[in-house]
Amino acid sequence: MSYSYTTDLAAVRAVVYRYAKQAGLPEHRALDLVLAVSEVAANTVRHAKSPGSLKIWYDTQEVICQIQDEGMIRDPLASRRKPAMDAMGGHGLWIVHQVCDEVEMLSGEAGTTIRLHMKLPG
Amino acid sequence: MTAIPLESALWYNKGVDLLTVFVTARESAGEPYTLVEVTGEADVTNTDELRRLLDDEVSEQPRMMIIDLSGLRFMDSSALHALLRVNRSLDRQGGVLALVSPQPAVAKILRLTTADRLIPVFATVAEAAAG
Repeated sequence: MSYSYTTDLAAVRAVVYRYAKQAGLPEHRALDLVLAVSEVAANTVRHAKSPGSLKIWYDTQEVICQIQDEGMIRDPLASRRKPAMDAMGGHGLWIVHQVCDEVEMLSGEAGTTIRLHMKLPG
Repeated sequence: MTAIPLESALWYNKGVDLLTVFVTARESAGEPYTLVEVTGEADVTNTDELRRLLDDEVSEQPRMMIIDLSGLRFMDSSALHALLRVNRSLDRQGGVLALVSPQPAVAKILRLTTADRLIPVFATVAEAAAG
Protein backbone atom coordinates (compact mmCIF):
# COMPACT_ATOMS: atom_id res chain seq x y z
CA MET A 1 0.00 0.00 0.00
CA SER A 2 1.06 3.56 -0.60
CA TYR A 3 0.92 6.23 2.06
CA SER A 4 0.76 9.82 0.87
CA TYR A 5 2.01 12.75 2.96
CA THR A 6 2.30 16.49 2.73
CA THR A 7 3.47 18.02 6.01
CA ASP A 8 2.25 15.47 8.56
CA LEU A 9 5.65 13.97 9.29
CA ALA A 10 4.61 12.77 12.76
CA ALA A 11 2.05 10.53 11.06
CA VAL A 12 4.71 9.21 8.68
CA ARG A 13 6.97 8.42 11.65
CA ALA A 14 4.15 6.66 13.50
CA VAL A 15 3.44 4.43 10.48
CA VAL A 16 7.10 3.56 10.01
CA TYR A 17 7.76 2.89 13.71
CA ARG A 18 4.77 0.60 14.06
CA TYR A 19 5.58 -1.29 10.90
CA ALA A 20 9.28 -1.63 11.67
CA LYS A 21 8.45 -3.15 15.07
CA GLN A 22 5.89 -5.46 13.52
CA ALA A 23 8.52 -6.60 11.00
CA GLY A 24 10.85 -7.51 13.87
CA LEU A 25 13.40 -4.70 13.92
CA PRO A 26 14.79 -4.15 17.42
CA GLU A 27 13.84 -0.88 19.10
CA HIS A 28 17.04 1.05 18.30
CA ARG A 29 16.96 -0.01 14.65
CA ALA A 30 13.29 0.91 14.38
CA LEU A 31 14.20 4.37 15.71
CA ASP A 32 17.01 4.57 13.13
CA LEU A 33 14.56 3.84 10.32
CA VAL A 34 12.10 6.39 11.70
CA LEU A 35 14.87 9.01 11.73
CA ALA A 36 15.96 8.16 8.18
CA VAL A 37 12.44 8.25 6.75
CA SER A 38 11.69 11.50 8.55
CA GLU A 39 14.82 13.11 7.12
CA VAL A 40 13.92 12.02 3.59
CA ALA A 41 10.31 13.14 4.00
CA ALA A 42 11.55 16.46 5.42
CA ASN A 43 13.19 17.06 2.04
CA THR A 44 9.78 16.65 0.41
CA VAL A 45 8.34 19.23 2.80
CA ARG A 46 11.22 21.61 2.05
CA HIS A 47 11.64 21.24 -1.68
CA ALA A 48 8.88 19.37 -3.47
CA LYS A 49 5.78 21.16 -4.66
CA SER A 50 3.52 18.14 -4.33
CA PRO A 51 2.91 15.35 -1.79
CA GLY A 52 5.33 12.51 -1.28
CA SER A 53 4.45 8.85 -1.08
CA LEU A 54 5.75 6.13 1.16
CA LYS A 55 5.73 2.38 0.68
CA ILE A 56 6.99 -0.02 3.29
CA TRP A 57 7.29 -3.78 3.18
CA TYR A 58 9.41 -6.61 4.51
CA ASP A 59 10.48 -10.15 3.82
CA THR A 60 12.47 -12.61 5.92
CA GLN A 61 15.70 -10.64 5.39
CA GLU A 62 14.92 -6.97 5.62
CA VAL A 63 12.52 -4.08 5.93
CA ILE A 64 12.39 -1.83 2.87
CA CYS A 65 10.97 1.64 2.82
CA GLN A 66 10.55 3.54 -0.43
CA ILE A 67 9.88 7.26 -0.52
CA GLN A 68 9.03 9.11 -3.71
CA ASP A 69 8.43 12.75 -4.44
CA GLU A 70 8.65 15.19 -7.33
CA GLY A 71 11.67 17.03 -5.96
CA MET A 72 15.14 16.63 -7.41
CA ILE A 73 18.42 16.04 -5.58
CA ARG A 74 21.14 17.72 -7.65
CA ASP A 75 24.14 16.06 -6.08
CA PRO A 76 23.15 12.68 -4.57
CA LEU A 77 26.78 11.79 -3.79
CA ALA A 78 27.17 14.89 -1.63
CA SER A 79 25.07 13.17 1.02
CA ARG A 80 27.81 10.60 1.61
CA ARG A 81 30.20 13.23 2.92
CA LYS A 82 29.85 14.33 6.54
CA PRO A 83 29.01 18.02 6.81
CA ALA A 84 31.04 20.22 9.18
CA MET A 85 29.77 19.74 12.72
CA ASP A 86 28.50 23.28 13.02
CA ALA A 87 27.16 23.37 9.46
CA MET A 88 23.70 24.88 9.43
CA GLY A 89 22.27 22.43 6.95
CA GLY A 90 22.98 19.30 4.97
CA HIS A 91 22.99 16.74 7.75
CA GLY A 92 19.72 15.14 6.68
CA LEU A 93 20.76 12.79 3.91
CA TRP A 94 24.12 12.13 5.52
CA ILE A 95 22.26 10.80 8.56
CA VAL A 96 20.16 8.57 6.29
CA HIS A 97 23.33 6.94 4.96
CA GLN A 98 24.67 6.43 8.48
CA VAL A 99 21.66 4.68 10.00
CA CYS A 100 20.48 2.49 7.10
CA ASP A 101 22.12 -0.71 5.90
CA GLU A 102 21.66 0.29 2.28
CA VAL A 103 20.36 3.38 0.52
CA GLU A 104 19.31 3.48 -3.13
CA MET A 105 18.74 6.88 -4.64
CA LEU A 106 17.38 7.76 -8.04
CA SER A 107 16.87 11.41 -8.83
CA GLY A 108 16.07 13.25 -12.03
CA GLU A 109 13.65 15.60 -13.75
CA ALA A 110 10.77 13.25 -12.97
CA GLY A 111 11.43 13.29 -9.25
CA THR A 112 13.30 11.36 -6.61
CA THR A 113 12.94 7.80 -5.38
CA ILE A 114 14.85 6.73 -2.29
CA ARG A 115 14.80 3.16 -1.05
CA LEU A 116 16.01 2.42 2.47
CA HIS A 117 16.99 -1.09 3.54
CA MET A 118 17.18 -2.33 7.14
CA LYS A 119 18.38 -5.89 7.77
CA LEU A 120 16.29 -7.96 10.14
CA PRO A 121 18.10 -9.78 12.95
CA GLY A 122 18.54 -13.52 12.70
CA MET B 1 10.39 -11.28 -2.59
CA THR B 2 7.31 -11.91 -0.48
CA ALA B 3 5.96 -8.59 0.57
CA ILE B 4 3.56 -8.36 3.47
CA PRO B 5 1.26 -5.41 2.95
CA LEU B 6 1.12 -2.61 5.46
CA GLU B 7 -2.10 -2.55 7.41
CA SER B 8 -4.29 0.17 6.02
CA ALA B 9 -4.94 2.15 9.19
CA LEU B 10 -3.59 5.68 9.19
CA TRP B 11 -2.35 7.76 12.10
CA TYR B 12 -3.00 11.43 12.22
CA ASN B 13 -1.50 14.00 14.55
CA LYS B 14 -3.28 16.90 12.91
CA GLY B 15 -4.92 19.17 15.44
CA VAL B 16 -2.52 17.98 18.12
CA ASP B 17 0.28 20.29 19.19
CA LEU B 18 3.37 18.45 18.06
CA LEU B 19 5.77 20.56 20.05
CA THR B 20 5.42 22.39 23.37
CA VAL B 21 8.08 24.64 24.86
CA PHE B 22 8.05 25.92 28.47
CA VAL B 23 10.56 28.50 29.59
CA THR B 24 11.24 29.34 33.23
CA ALA B 25 13.83 31.49 34.99
CA ARG B 26 15.57 29.55 37.78
CA GLU B 27 18.44 29.75 40.14
CA SER B 28 21.06 27.30 41.35
CA ALA B 29 23.38 28.28 44.23
CA GLY B 30 22.65 31.92 43.54
CA GLU B 31 23.38 31.58 39.81
CA PRO B 32 20.43 32.31 37.53
CA TYR B 33 19.73 30.10 34.54
CA THR B 34 17.05 29.72 31.92
CA LEU B 35 15.33 26.36 31.79
CA VAL B 36 13.69 25.42 28.49
CA GLU B 37 11.55 22.27 28.56
CA VAL B 38 10.84 20.92 25.09
CA THR B 39 8.11 18.31 24.78
CA GLY B 40 6.75 16.39 21.80
CA GLU B 41 8.40 16.01 18.40
CA ALA B 42 10.70 18.57 16.77
CA ASP B 43 11.05 18.44 13.00
CA VAL B 44 11.23 20.61 9.90
CA THR B 45 7.54 21.48 10.19
CA ASN B 46 8.02 23.32 13.49
CA THR B 47 11.71 24.30 13.43
CA ASP B 48 10.95 27.93 12.58
CA GLU B 49 8.79 28.29 15.69
CA LEU B 50 11.36 26.51 17.84
CA ARG B 51 14.15 28.71 16.50
CA ARG B 52 12.12 31.88 17.10
CA LEU B 53 11.37 30.87 20.69
CA LEU B 54 14.98 29.98 21.43
CA ASP B 55 16.28 33.15 19.75
CA ASP B 56 14.01 35.20 22.03
CA GLU B 57 15.59 33.56 25.06
CA VAL B 58 19.12 33.94 23.71
CA SER B 59 18.50 37.67 23.20
CA GLU B 60 17.92 37.93 26.96
CA GLN B 61 21.63 37.07 27.26
CA PRO B 62 21.36 34.32 29.88
CA ARG B 63 24.63 33.15 31.42
CA MET B 64 23.34 29.63 31.24
CA MET B 65 20.56 27.99 29.27
CA ILE B 66 19.50 24.43 30.04
CA ILE B 67 17.31 22.62 27.55
CA ASP B 68 15.46 19.70 29.11
CA LEU B 69 14.88 17.12 26.36
CA SER B 70 13.31 14.42 28.55
CA GLY B 71 9.87 15.03 27.03
CA LEU B 72 11.10 15.16 23.44
CA ARG B 73 10.28 11.94 21.58
CA PHE B 74 11.90 12.90 18.29
CA MET B 75 14.29 15.42 16.83
CA ASP B 76 15.39 15.73 13.20
CA SER B 77 18.42 17.47 11.70
CA SER B 78 16.64 20.79 11.23
CA ALA B 79 15.78 20.95 14.95
CA LEU B 80 19.34 19.90 15.74
CA HIS B 81 20.57 22.87 13.70
CA ALA B 82 18.37 25.14 15.80
CA LEU B 83 20.15 23.83 18.93
CA LEU B 84 23.59 24.21 17.33
CA ARG B 85 22.68 27.77 16.44
CA VAL B 86 21.69 28.54 20.03
CA ASN B 87 24.96 27.04 21.21
CA ARG B 88 26.94 29.25 18.84
CA SER B 89 25.02 32.40 19.75
CA LEU B 90 25.34 31.81 23.49
CA ASP B 91 29.02 31.00 23.12
CA ARG B 92 29.59 34.31 21.31
CA GLN B 93 27.95 36.29 24.09
CA GLY B 94 29.75 34.44 26.85
CA GLY B 95 26.89 32.14 27.84
CA VAL B 96 26.68 28.37 28.14
CA LEU B 97 24.19 25.86 26.75
CA ALA B 98 23.54 22.44 28.32
CA LEU B 99 21.21 19.65 27.27
CA VAL B 100 19.47 17.31 29.69
CA SER B 101 18.17 13.76 29.51
CA PRO B 102 17.63 13.04 25.82
CA GLN B 103 15.46 10.01 25.01
CA PRO B 104 17.10 7.29 22.85
CA ALA B 105 16.01 8.68 19.47
CA VAL B 106 17.27 12.16 20.35
CA ALA B 107 20.47 10.86 21.97
CA LYS B 108 21.15 8.97 18.73
CA ILE B 109 21.13 12.00 16.46
CA LEU B 110 23.21 13.98 18.97
CA ARG B 111 25.79 11.18 19.04
CA LEU B 112 25.74 10.48 15.29
CA THR B 113 26.38 14.10 14.35
CA THR B 114 28.84 14.49 17.28
CA ALA B 115 26.74 17.44 18.47
CA ASP B 116 27.07 15.89 21.95
CA ARG B 117 30.78 16.73 21.85
CA LEU B 118 29.97 20.34 21.11
CA ILE B 119 27.15 20.76 23.63
CA PRO B 120 27.44 19.14 27.09
CA VAL B 121 24.70 16.60 27.90
CA PHE B 122 23.66 15.88 31.51
CA ALA B 123 21.39 13.31 33.12
CA THR B 124 19.44 15.81 35.24
CA VAL B 125 18.70 19.55 35.33
CA ALA B 126 20.37 19.74 38.78
CA GLU B 127 23.60 18.29 37.39
CA ALA B 128 23.53 20.65 34.42
CA ALA B 129 22.89 23.64 36.70
CA ALA B 130 25.80 22.62 38.91
CA GLY B 131 27.95 22.55 35.77
